[in-house]
Amino acid sequence: MIVHFLHISMSTAFQVVLLGFIGGVLSGFIGSGGAFFMTPGMMNLGIEGVVAVASNITHKFGKAMVGSHKHSEAGNVDKKLAVFVLGTAILGIQIAVWITSMLFKGGAGHGMAKGAGANLYISVVFATILTAVAISMLRDLIKTSGQENAGAGPSRKITDFLAKLNLPPVIYFKVADVKVSLWVILIVGVATGYLAGTIGVGGFIGVPAMIYVFGVPTAVAAGTELYLAMFMGAYGALSYAYQGFVDIRLTMLLYIGSLLGIYLGVYGVKVVNEKVIRLVTSLIILLCVLSRIIAIPIYLRQLDILSFDPAWDVYFNAASKFFLFASGISGCLVILFFVMRAYHQRRQIHKTLQVERVPVRP
Amino acid sequence: MPIIMISSVAHCSAEKLAEDLGRKTGWPTLSRRELADQAHTQGIKLGRIETSIIKKPISNESLAREKDIYLAYITAAICEKARDGNLIYEGRAGHLLLPGVRHRLRVGLMAPKGVRIEKAIADLNLPREKVSSYLDQIDEDFEKWVHYVHRAEWKDPGRFDFFINLQTISLSHASDLLVSIASLPDYCTTVETRQAMENHHLTAKAKLRLSTDDRTRRANFWVRAVDGVVTVTYMPGQKGIDHAIIEVLEQLEGCNKVQCTMAETNVLWAQERFHGIDDNFHHITQIAQRWGAAVELLQIAPPSELACDECIAATANEVRNPSADSGKAAYTGGVEDDGPEVSRHDNGLDKVMEELVSIGRSGGGKTIYGGSEEIIEAIKDTTNCSLIVLGDIFLDKGHEARKRQARELALNIRERFKIPVVTSDEIQSRFFFGPRQALKLMTFALAVLCIYAAAFTYQDVILNFLGGPMHQNVKVISAICVVLFVPLVAYLYGTVTGLLFKLVGVD
Repeated sequence: MIVHFLHISMSTAFQVVLLGFIGGVLSGFIGSGGAFFMTPGMMNLGIEGVVAVASNITHKFGKAMVGSHKHSEAGNVDKKLAVFVLGTAILGIQIAVWITSMLFKGGAGHGMAKGAGANLYISVVFATILTAVAISMLRDLIKTSGQENAGAGPSRKITDFLAKLNLPPVIYFKVADVKVSLWVILIVGVATGYLAGTIGVGGFIGVPAMIYVFGVPTAVAAGTELYLAMFMGAYGALSYAYQGFVDIRLTMLLYIGSLLGIYLGVYGVKVVNEKVIRLVTSLIILLCVLSRIIAIPIYLRQLDILSFDPAWDVYFNAASKFFLFASGISGCLVILFFVMRAYHQRRQIHKTLQVERVPVRP
Repeated sequence: MPIIMISSVAHCSAEKLAEDLGRKTGWPTLSRRELADQAHTQGIKLGRIETSIIKKPISNESLAREKDIYLAYITAAICEKARDGNLIYEGRAGHLLLPGVRHRLRVGLMAPKGVRIEKAIADLNLPREKVSSYLDQIDEDFEKWVHYVHRAEWKDPGRFDFFINLQTISLSHASDLLVSIASLPDYCTTVETRQAMENHHLTAKAKLRLSTDDRTRRANFWVRAVDGVVTVTYMPGQKGIDHAIIEVLEQLEGCNKVQCTMAETNVLWAQERFHGIDDNFHHITQIAQRWGAAVELLQIAPPSELACDECIAATANEVRNPSADSGKAAYTGGVEDDGPEVSRHDNGLDKVMEELVSIGRSGGGKTIYGGSEEIIEAIKDTTNCSLIVLGDIFLDKGHEARKRQARELALNIRERFKIPVVTSDEIQSRFFFGPRQALKLMTFALAVLCIYAAAFTYQDVILNFLGGPMHQNVKVISAICVVLFVPLVAYLYGTVTGLLFKLVGVD
């Protein structure tokens, strides 16, 4: 066995398939790559971090390729928009890599604190950005609940404001049917790339940005993001495979679960009430954020900002992992519950129960 | 004891048989003629339905609704009269009423033409030479009626329990025979058959209320009652009607609960000529059933057919929209004899719409005159559409040109509206699991199994190639292999999972 590749027993294989399934369900349902769950999950099984990342990004590449092909068939991919965003996203990735590398090197002379600066930085960015996303989703949910036009479509306030500014050059994107200033694309692209490079969740920013800032229809935003992910994934897969870190067995095991999970997750989006989707998504994200926040004291201690017994690190790590798995597993179970219920209801023909009332006898 | 349903063509002495049976059994009798008179007094336009079917054998949504009201009325009346368990009903096609009620004895009555001619002469005082052709004509009208109202053939023997030919047997003996058959245990009332009757009764009453109340009468809905629970399914175009439905059905006797369900989405079916219940109809209604969708029809007619006065005056693409809120302008199907004659190009639209209404899946329909641009304009008005099915269009073009233009139109619609578009040829492969899909599933599953078996059997060699000592010499080849191999696995396994989900109806 090659040193950095793990021996895969039946039990490990089953757990990787399960991780893939949960990641797939979450990915299909909330639209993220599911990497936020699968990568730490694989590391928890004893797989080297770099192998986990490499195998996961390779898995994501193939998945994005098949997914974007399907979206493309449905007319949901704006390739021109993807090229513009990709061009600027690469710049953002480079900025992220530069900052992370600087912080990683900066901690090199501190013994135990090696990489702590980078870890703290990544955790803070992760917690800040995802908290903002989850809170804005929850606020949106509370604001629109009870309103008649709830679910009437995403807000166009930012899009309309930017359209009024009319910053030239303005580019027309045929498939998405939107006109966007090149400067706005640059900012969004760099931000997406920066977040993808820093915390690996570019889609969390890319998709909402395309919807709310560019005014792109939701389906086109998701399809275009997947198309982008395919190129980013291909680049990542090539790089890691060249370095010899891709464990193709892990990639294949992840597929067994994830492709099944994705179908269920996507089906869930079709049949589950949009409010429930937003609620479940935001709660899963908040639990992930909590998991990361719990790990922050460890980095602070390693940087000598906080002082406590290093033996406590085990408990912080365990709690962090618990919340990560709790978010993934409970989110997956909730989604599956709604999917099964909706499937059952559909089978019984009576789909959307609007009113059920016992008539009042005179 | 049973309900005896006697069906016969005209001038067969069915009413005499019913009377005789009533006398011998003491059971209440009811005839279609009585019900027709009562229906007329209740404002049900039975005459218009008959005139429309006989004079102009075409149907439309408005006519289909009137037919439903009529059927609901006679069903409710029969159930009401048969409350104590027994009834003798005599009518045109009584044997086709109350399906599923096992204690009804379905009797067909036929007499030789000579006997019928004598009866008709006596009944109508017609000259003998005219009676024969008169009987032929009313038999033809009768068959049209049964075919339209019940969507069945009157002569289908599978729908009768007993058939009497009066050529040799007398009416009195025939009624004796029926009395003895009716006493057989096979036709006894049971709890189950009573419940079936009550369900029919409640369904019919709910339909009648909804069809006659101003708040709900224009809506398309499908009603079913089971054990006191009335379920009403309506279409997305009538969003918000649920409260009106509840109000209308409140205090309906026998109704314990009302459930209103709305179809979630629309499937738009665009075609030049509709061919009734064909494969496309079955496929599309199955998809609608699976998705909880309504089917909206879009008939495309060449601009040259834009000939009727109304169309020209309107100078609009849309000539007719018989959806719920367009009652004023709805085409009448020639029902009103006094109204102006309206020429139009039906091409099977009404027949299909009628079928959709009957299964509770009609999302309305309209005809547009023109080509691709007009179709795209019409699609703009479609709300909440999840799928567009392009059936036979551009029929005036050659085969190749037709396929190319349909493909271009599909692409154009997809790009402009971001709605999945399929041609009718693709429905089977895209949404249903047929033999081709089964073969594909097996082939791909076998390929996936082979790949996985190979990967895990020779894992040491593979890992050596990907990250071991061998990798140091073949880094570029290794990276390229990974990037080519992974999408292949994703595609093969993705297809297998997709087909499996299609097999279980999750899409």
